[in-house]
Amino acid sequence: MSKFKKVDERSAPAMNTASLPDIVFMLLFFFMVATTTKETDPTVKYTAPSGSETEDLTPYKQRSEIDFLYLGRPRNPSRASAFEYGFALSLDNVVRAKADGLYTTNKVGEWKQNKFDSKPARMKKPIDGVITCIKADQEAPAGLIFEIRKQLQEVDALKIAYSVKDLGVNN
Amino acid sequence: MAKRDIPEINAGSMADIAFLLLLFFLVTTTMDKDMAYIRKIPQKLDVPPPDDIEIQARNVLKIEANSQNQIKVRNTYPDPSEISESILEFYRTSEKVNHPELNFPLYSTADLALCEREKRKLNEQIDGFDAVGDDEMVVFLQSAIKQWEDKEKALKLLERVTGLTELREIDKQAHIKIVVQKATTYSIYTQIHNEIEEAVNILRNDKCKELFGEKYTVMNFRYNQNPDENQEDKDKLDLIKILYPGKIIEVEPKN
Repeated sequence: MSKFKKVDERSAPAMNTASLPDIVFMLLFFFMVATTTKETDPTVKYTAPSGSETEDLTPYKQRSEIDFLYLGRPRNPSRASAFEYGFALSLDNVVRAKADGLYTTNKVGEWKQNKFDSKPARMKKPIDGVITCIKADQEAPAGLIFEIRKQLQEVDALKIAYSVKDLGVNN
Repeated sequence: MAKRDIPEINAGSMADIAFLLLLFFLVTTTMDKDMAYIRKIPQKLDVPPPDDIEIQARNVLKIEANSQNQIKVRNTYPDPSEISESILEFYRTSEKVNHPELNFPLYSTADLALCEREKRKLNEQIDGFDAVGDDEMVVFLQSAIKQWEDKEKALKLLERVTGLTELREIDKQAHIKIVVQKATTYSIYTQIHNEIEEAVNILRNDKCKELFGEKYTVMNFRYNQNPDENQEDKDKLDLIKILYPGKIIEVEPKN
């Protein structure tokens, strides 16, 4: 005479997971849109100095109006002596040492010009409009920065950006 | 022909695939933005500039940093975070009323009539140089006229928005001079730029708020998002830039 069924005899109903993919896709699209790809993974080690009151470079990146160059210590510390001041310059992941007869900074002008020339014509703006962003290590000497500036001056690429890490981005 | 039912595709693993993609983007996403100080470097000159250009000491705010990362502003040795105060002082001392007895740049007042006069004067000079065929001088004077035209445009905007008919303008020569040594580190170098940016932003924000009820940095950010479609913003930004040019001269280190 079981008037009451035992509760634990009933198995839990299967949850409908049909909408799970939709939820996941929603998240997926959010991250896909929010992702900005790094131009390159630098071949040099660098720690950016911190600063505030900076300008956001994202709009320039979206319009491809910016080139990055990295100035930091070489990954292999024993190679540091091959470079001026012990700092290496990474241009599109190419690190050149003094030993090859090439100084670290005297290729910047050529590099910038090549990059500019290889752009498709419809995206072309005057070279003056393309920013060169220097991402340098906090210990990097200002002397190298000025050598880079001089090189850029030679090819009339006059817009320059000094990259820092903004601790309180408030835009 | 017998009608066959199309078997339903099992979509149970769709979520797994989506998760896989999601995880990939989760891991590769870097949320930190690239932030920087944007500067212009001067054009290369074919001929060395004449060295008889006289720059008054009052118009220069010299910021020096040595290889030991010590900082000197004019004749004081402030903490790096206090540089912006010196810059504010540099700009604001004579802003309302000129103080010729103090060692700070003086302001002049410009209005539409002055622009008109200056332009006419320059045009006459151009005709003179054109007659003798001095092309370089003509190009130079034309750029000077362009400056007065920009100022005229700014004055018109100012009058339309606020009703003011004249603007106080800092001496054309007034500038901040950065002198570093070769071994000065990048962090000190950017810190100096940080302080300059901070001071100039304070000046520009205050003025922009007073005139247009909006911060300069906010307006500038909006303009940069879509530079081709915000002509109104551009004119306003240009006006503020004429008021506070924030000129910087960086000297190449010698030692």
